Amino acid sequence: MLQLKKVSKIYEGKVAYRALTDIDLDVESGEFVAIMGPSGSGKTTLLNIISTIDSPTTGEVKIDEKNPHQLKKNELAKFRRNELGFIFQDFNLLHTLTVEENIVLPMTLDGKRVKEMKKKAAEIAMTLGISPILSKRTFEISGGQAQRVAIARAMIHQPKLLLADEPTGNLDSKSSKDVMEMLVNINKQEKTSLLMVTHDPQAASYSDRVIFIRDGKLHSEIYCGESRQAFFQKIMDMLSLMGGDSSDYSSIRV
Amino acid sequence: MTIRQFAFKNVFRNKRLYIAYFLSSLFTVMIFFTFALFAFHPTFSAEGFNQYAMFGMAVAGGIIYIFSFFFVLYSMSSFLQSRKKEFGLLILLGASDRQIRRMVFMENLLIGFLATIGGIATGILFSKAILLIAENILIIEESLPFYFPTMAIAVTFISFILLFLCISFFVAFILRTKKLIELIKGDKQSKGEPKASIILSIIATILLAAGYITALQVEGLDVLAAMIPVILVVTIGTYLLFTQLSVYILRYLRRNKLIFWRKTNMVLFSDLSFRMKDNARTFFMVAIISTVAFSAIGTLYGLQSYLTKGVKDAHPFTITYQPWDGDNEEEVNQDIETINKIIETGNLNAKMESVELNYFNIEDDNYLIVSATDFNRFAMLADENTVQVEPDEAIVVEQSQAALMQGKKASEILMGLNVPLTDGQKIQPSTVIQSEVLPAFYGMYIVNDDKFNQLGEPERTDYTVAWQVQNANTDQIIELGRKISDQIAYRAVVAEYTIFEINRGYGPILFIGLFIGIAFFVSAGSFLYFRLFSDLDADKQKFRSISKIGLSIGELKKIVNRQIALLFMSPIIVALLHGTVALTALSNFFNYNLTLEASIVLGSFALIQIIYFLIVRFFYIKQLIKSIS
Repeated sequence: MLQLKKVSKIYEGKVAYRALTDIDLDVESGEFVAIMGPSGSGKTTLLNIISTIDSPTTGEVKIDEKNPHQLKKNELAKFRRNELGFIFQDFNLLHTLTVEENIVLPMTLDGKRVKEMKKKAAEIAMTLGISPILSKRTFEISGGQAQRVAIARAMIHQPKLLLADEPTGNLDSKSSKDVMEMLVNINKQEKTSLLMVTHDPQAASYSDRVIFIRDGKLHSEIYCGESRQAFFQKIMDMLSLMGGDSSDYSSIRV
Repeated sequence: MTIRQFAFKNVFRNKRLYIAYFLSSLFTVMIFFTFALFAFHPTFSAEGFNQYAMFGMAVAGGIIYIFSFFFVLYSMSSFLQSRKKEFGLLILLGASDRQIRRMVFMENLLIGFLATIGGIATGILFSKAILLIAENILIIEESLPFYFPTMAIAVTFISFILLFLCISFFVAFILRTKKLIELIKGDKQSKGEPKASIILSIIATILLAAGYITALQVEGLDVLAAMIPVILVVTIGTYLLFTQLSVYILRYLRRNKLIFWRKTNMVLFSDLSFRMKDNARTFFMVAIISTVAFSAIGTLYGLQSYLTKGVKDAHPFTITYQPWDGDNEEEVNQDIETINKIIETGNLNAKMESVELNYFNIEDDNYLIVSATDFNRFAMLADENTVQVEPDEAIVVEQSQAALMQGKKASEILMGLNVPLTDGQKIQPSTVIQSEVLPAFYGMYIVNDDKFNQLGEPERTDYTVAWQVQNANTDQIIELGRKISDQIAYRAVVAEYTIFEINRGYGPILFIGLFIGIAFFVSAGSFLYFRLFSDLDADKQKFRSISKIGLSIGELKKIVNRQIALLFMSPIIVALLHGTVALTALSNFFNYNLTLEASIVLGSFALIQIIYFLIVRFFYIKQLIKSIS
């Protein structure tokens, strides 16, 4: 589904800064992958490169055997609206539009028929439990609702790859839990591949696999085993290991 | 939802963001419409109004139109700048460039359409007032009644729909989608503090000083020669002043901890120095546009006052009659008879004096010499001081008008000569007085009556008759003047009527100048307004975080007050200075004191700007306080 080969990103400037170094990554179709790492580790840069917001300095990104960075502008626009879905930490809803209009936005760009869009919006709103607020404006709803609207917008055109940047970053624990469960549902039912960047180990524990990045390099990865609770514990251990200088810990642990 | 609906919703549901752009577009339309309303008035087309005036109006209309184009374009692009993030998001959701361009195009067309309609509607509301003002400035006999301006509406509507269509196309194409990451992070990126070069800062000072000193030093015809280089130098100087010198001063202030770390100064200056880069160009543009407006209006107004004052000074009497060299006595008598008759039929009382003006040869040149009695007769008629001339003296009279002449002043030449008598005696000139009582362009002598008889035969004799009409109002005199100038062209001058004619011919030019000047000035104000309000969101965020640290509302007001004052006033102050220098140079050119005219023009502009500042400040602070609490 998603393949990254030796992706590097260098920010030019007075002092060139290497944000990513030779990242290799494979995400299977229908897999839910979380990317974790300390601030400044390059995880958002990685997501931006995958989501075509940013382009890699070297290396190759392939989504469904296509390299989006080599597409022409118009093809890229089509590619984005058909293959990709985005969820942001700060929701990024358009405040001039109602909830429903926000949800159908990607389809309107594709020029779909109004009837079809209405039906889809109603369906997805039902699954996400936001039917009652469809006619509301974005400033009239809570953060949890807003993120669900954003999920609905990201999902309405049934993309193959869903990209989420700290989707629970601005939410309370209850809303975070709801949002994560919804994402897992979508992932399981629609077989949508999901790539999520997060700080939150709780959120990461919903995934099938967590990849840790540090200083722009792949650090390690762990797979979810039988229980989510055990997975969460493993993630916490890995985070504390990464938190300091690893050699400090190794003497204690080994 | 289609793209069209999307665009509509954007506009109608986000009025606050669009309102500034909408209002300035509306204002532009209104100015143009008012102009058209006036230009297409039936009174002008029916009367066969002055062809030059009509042509002037067409040119002025064109200038306003072209200016509107650039103004709307600027407004639009600065408006689009503030929406970077929104475009980034849309692209991310899969909008193609074409779709975004179409959306912007639609929005723009919608706003343009509404602004055109709104501008015309507001224009109609104020049309009666505008026509009344026009009536008074233009001095038109017929009043300008209110009419339903079909033609003006049509022309304005078509012109502006076209203009907005063009701009919509234009904007849609210049909306180059930059790298997506730049768009998405658009509002978070720091613009970087601008750097100032000390050399360029010094050059700015030198250029401005050189321009000013030159402009203030030159006199007479040299002003024209110096004009272009001075304008060039000052323009470059102004640009460097805003881009370099001001930044340099701000950096100096930042380095000086005594000033920079004092109370709220840090918040104020740090922000200013960062924003200077964007502001500099706007400031420059506003300063130059305003200078053009000030100078144009000041020049027109000054010129009018110069012309009318000149006529008034040169003609102290109601009617002055001077026959031409070839005219014989009979014709002269007939003319005088005619004038007397016209005065009689107008039921007016007039005192008449006439005098022969004799020119005598002194050292191979002819000079005018009059007797004290003749002079005093005219002086009394004009209600001016009479003179007492001793037998052994001659008084030199100079017209203040003569100062315009190149070369030596008349008084200097006359004081250097002696008046010879037939008995071989010579009279020494004693004093110089200024008087316009008798027409003596090259100056004259007044001598004692006894001595006057000893002057001998004159070389040449002129004849002058003057009437002073009593108890008549201006309208009666103008009527009198019209009749006289119909029957005796050129030989007889009725000062009031001549001034009336000057004003009449001058009215359209003044009106057009005023219009364009005001249009420029208002647009300049709108540039500043845009600049200010595009920073509103950043300011809100900034003050929200500062107020968390502990900033009282009073302190906030103080900071914002100074910030807006600097933004609103600094380019205008520069423009006022430029304008003052320009008008001083103008008055040097004419050798005519324009202080009053310049103060009226510059003062009223300063006043308007202050009112504008107060209004904008009120709303800006209100918004900020609302966002904090």
